[in-house]
Amino acid sequence: MRKILYLAMLSFVSGCSTMEGVTSFTSARDTGSLHENERRLWHEAAEFDSTIERSDQIYKDSKATAYLQKTMDKLYPEFKGKINVRINNSTELNAFALPNGSIYFNIGLLSRMENEAQLAAILGHEAVHFIEKHSFQERVSTKNMAAFSVSSIPFSTLASMSSISGFSQELELEADKMGYERLVKAGYDPREAHKIFQHLADEVEALGIEEPYFFSSHPALVDRIEEFKRLSANYKGKGRIGSKTYNSLMTQIRLDALRNDIGRDRFKSVILVMEDSKKRKYYPAAGYFYLGEAYSRRDENGDANKALNAYKKAVKKAPKFSPTYMRLGMQYMKSNDKSKAKYYFKRYLSLAPRDAGDRGYAKQYLKSL
Amino acid sequence: MKKLLILITLALLTSGCMQPKKWTLTDDMNGVVKSKSFQMTVPERWVRLTTPLTWEYVEIDGENQSMLLEAMTVTRDGADLQSINVIRRYPDNAFPTIKKKSRASMLPPEVADLYVSELRKRSGLERLKVLTNKPAKVGGKDAFRLVMQYKNDDGLRIRIVSYGFVDKTGFYTISYRAPYLYYYNRDYKRFTKLVDSFRQLKGAHEPPPQIPGWMKIFT
Repeated sequence: MRKILYLAMLSFVSGCSTMEGVTSFTSARDTGSLHENERRLWHEAAEFDSTIERSDQIYKDSKATAYLQKTMDKLYPEFKGKINVRINNSTELNAFALPNGSIYFNIGLLSRMENEAQLAAILGHEAVHFIEKHSFQERVSTKNMAAFSVSSIPFSTLASMSSISGFSQELELEADKMGYERLVKAGYDPREAHKIFQHLADEVEALGIEEPYFFSSHPALVDRIEEFKRLSANYKGKGRIGSKTYNSLMTQIRLDALRNDIGRDRFKSVILVMEDSKKRKYYPAAGYFYLGEAYSRRDENGDANKALNAYKKAVKKAPKFSPTYMRLGMQYMKSNDKSKAKYYFKRYLSLAPRDAGDRGYAKQYLKSL
Repeated sequence: MKKLLILITLALLTSGCMQPKKWTLTDDMNGVVKSKSFQMTVPERWVRLTTPLTWEYVEIDGENQSMLLEAMTVTRDGADLQSINVIRRYPDNAFPTIKKKSRASMLPPEVADLYVSELRKRSGLERLKVLTNKPAKVGGKDAFRLVMQYKNDDGLRIRIVSYGFVDKTGFYTISYRAPYLYYYNRDYKRFTKLVDSFRQLKGAHEPPPQIPGWMKIFT
């Protein structure tokens, strides 16, 4: 029944791609002539961009950012220079578009994807929100025109009118459909598209969390997966998948995402990723250290041993990753195994950078042993 | 119903919930501030709360819960410009947002990690950065000294320095928070003097108080 409703909605969407009175952009040139009310919306979006920039929320990785931008330009060459992709230093599984063409991709979502085709599927979707002026459409459709008479509109208003918190189901379906077409047109393998949604659906279920923002108002993930599978069922081409470049650029991002997850106490997410061999294979071996941290944080029966095993694996598979030695030193010191504790603290000091935060502790503990 | 309302109002007026945030200017007569569990010397000509706060609301999984604590705030120009907070949390709710207890056996770096996670989760400041994390001593106990920083929405750098330690009576922090621009450096030395003056008192070893039943009505 749910599927029938979904298909009915999709056919409705395909019949009315733009709302009456709101014309979509056809190329970058169109963005030069905006309706006065639209200009206000763009102004808000620019303010939002500045806030994100000023408050240090941009993840600084010029190579990865350039790669995301290049992928976007491949999908929408006619909008080159108008759609700007940035990486947001947040582990939430989210990506969002602002009405002025700024697109933010969280490191949390980037680290969960497996290749360029999957990246392109999300970028393709987000760009449609900009091109089809979905923020503007929602304002018009909610008859919220009074808001335009206010010169300074709070960011929360903008957030509710951008894909940060998701659009209506019809607009999300439109973005899915048009994004999919672009994916195929740009030469990507569309059979990859459903995989990212499947991956995230697994995560949402395993963690017992509410669907993250990216999906909050979207059609249910399961319907979406089925629809993407249906769309790509007859695809016979040999589209680009692009695993190698993608995964080499994501190495540090994945490690930082794991570290940030631990830093925010999202240990369940780390355990989910690092205990699943299909997911773990995309992560650097130092990820085992964060698995150890995650078990230490969870602190259930048997977790102390699981943490110790994970740290040992980290030593074996990522022998130059210094934080593991510090943790092992501390563990052995607490269990009064002085010789092992000394060994690990010494190893830590020999490997850790001179300005590493924990050096002081390691020196102090070595002295006391 | 009327009786219940009167009772609630009376309870609020006579208890911690309506604790008036009265501030007093410190001078050489009242520079040493004593709470139940600790004492410290507050910089002269700064203002401090007249009585420590004894509980707070903490949002856990979207719901407000009341938590016992002992907290003292001092400032010179106003809490937004610079503030020093001295807080004792009881072992069972040492890190309430991340639902972790404190144990006397925890090492300072472990405590520091939990503390940062608690701050990030509670404030929503995923971008809070740890600049340094070094060993320290507070009141003769092994402690951490964390220097953290974040930029607010206007791009202003806010720096936080926290000293913290755990023992069997709970988790103690002494934190200084100020905009890096002008205020941080100006008042930092006064903060370190306050840290040096910190002493734990015998009262710390008394059993923790109970949260009054009426307070739970509002949580």
